Amino acid sequence: MNVIETEGLTKSFGERVAVDRVDLAVPSGCAFGFLGPNGAGKTTLIRMLLGLTHASHGSMSLLGLPVPQRRAEALRRVGAIVEQPGFHDHLSGRENLRVVAAARGPEARPRIGPALERVGLADRADERVKAYSLGMRQRLGVARCLLADPKLLILDEPTNGLDPGGILEFRLMIRDLVEQEGRTVFLSSHLLDEVEKTCDHAAIVDHGRIVTQGTIAELASDGRSELIVGCDDPSLALAVLDGFGGIRDARRSDEGLRLTLAPGRDGAAAVNSLLVEAGVSVHRLEPVRRSLEERFLEITTRLGVEA
Amino acid sequence: MTATVARQMIGAEFLKLRKKRGMVAWALVLAAGSMAIFISVKAIQHASNPVGYAPAGGTRGLASMLEMLGFFMVPLSAILIGAEAGAGDRAGGVFRDLVVTGRSRVALFLVRLPGALMLTFVVVGIAFGLAVAGTYLFASGAPTPDAALVAKAAAWVVLANGTLCIVAVGLASLVGSRPATITALIGWQLVASPVLLQSNSLGSVRQVLLDGAFSQIKPGVREGEPVIGMTIAAVVVSILAWTLIASLLGAWRTATQDA
Repeated sequence: MNVIETEGLTKSFGERVAVDRVDLAVPSGCAFGFLGPNGAGKTTLIRMLLGLTHASHGSMSLLGLPVPQRRAEALRRVGAIVEQPGFHDHLSGRENLRVVAAARGPEARPRIGPALERVGLADRADERVKAYSLGMRQRLGVARCLLADPKLLILDEPTNGLDPGGILEFRLMIRDLVEQEGRTVFLSSHLLDEVEKTCDHAAIVDHGRIVTQGTIAELASDGRSELIVGCDDPSLALAVLDGFGGIRDARRSDEGLRLTLAPGRDGAAAVNSLLVEAGVSVHRLEPVRRSLEERFLEITTRLGVEA
Repeated sequence: MTATVARQMIGAEFLKLRKKRGMVAWALVLAAGSMAIFISVKAIQHASNPVGYAPAGGTRGLASMLEMLGFFMVPLSAILIGAEAGAGDRAGGVFRDLVVTGRSRVALFLVRLPGALMLTFVVVGIAFGLAVAGTYLFASGAPTPDAALVAKAAAWVVLANGTLCIVAVGLASLVGSRPATITALIGWQLVASPVLLQSNSLGSVRQVLLDGAFSQIKPGVREGEPVIGMTIAAVVVSILAWTLIASLLGAWRTATQDA
């Protein structure tokens, strides 16, 4: 089941199209990264999903319920932080949660204590939020989300402004929410590294459009599989591999050879066998691990060229 | 929305307001502080010149104090509280977090009204308590009001300040700014409304002014007739119109604005 689905979702501000015909599917039980540069339309899409602003065109659903038609019902099991979490600074953390729990309904109030425990703020819960650090405010924001006992958490740039320790802490908490508690986390970010380390799935958005979406591994590899081959005679190896159907491309590189394997083929073993049989001594056979960052830059560079 | 949810949400509104210590302190200064100063000055004047100045208390003293309670300083506390209730969630960046709970925006607006009224009545009640105490303590032998008059005075003070508080909540929700609301309403209450009320050229148009309506039904001793004559029906229509229009505008804006 998809916890978020959009179809042709569009938001225009006059002539400017902030979100452009977005089709998005977020599977349940995963951490889903919504990745894009600043101004790509990430927050606008989240605001539409949550009913904070109206869509110009298209349809969307949360937890299988169409919004805005059944928005109240859908949001009952959704927790969200949009941009920076806002609090009444003159109230304590616990009192801020009481305010939101009152709006959530009577079942939310008993969750205040466990939510504060869950995010590690139980000891500081009775201090005024004015005295909280940014990291504590972010954690209090998550505690506020947990008042809904959410199936889905929507977090908009949650690690903005956090120090490395705070980012790591936040990442571990998100993974726990997914793996230990079975919740789905939809996390928007412009930080590639963050999405790659935290999420299972992602969509890359730019200029209001979804460029690509899938698992992190799929996105990073773009369906391509590359292999580095270290051997004693690269020229002979190239000649041996010429015409081998399992390879789409082969070229010399600093490491020896760099091969692009044909889609859907696990050619490493075959390459090794061919080379050894031809008398080439192979001392290295290593799949190339591409990062999401490389893929992201590739996509955005291409978009820049097209533009 | 069930009664339990409504009660919890109103309690949360009251919590937000009563914990705003600076605002509560100012409201108390404007209400109780100004009333204490008013009574003290009148008492000192009477003590120093009993022939030239009437006693601070007694039935006539209460009438003067009601002017403070219903028209001048004390209503400013109702404006402060109402403006905070109407615009506080936006100012704190919390409004969107309340909207994403799925609770109806109209409900989010409506609970601001009783929350603000509760605190207003506490603050105004303290000022009224001081006024009643001064009425009896500083009567200096002058006639004192009976319980029925005190009860009528209390009801009038509640109505006058409650109405202004609701107008402040509605206006602050409409414009989304506490300073703008406070400036506009204090200017209206202390300057514009009294000036307009004295402008004979406006004739019966002045019946729309809240001060005109509250002058008409002010209990106790009168120093002359009210500036404009109004029927009770006109008074009711005027008060209802102000509260309803302000509430509708506030609710409309809360329901339609981008959060």
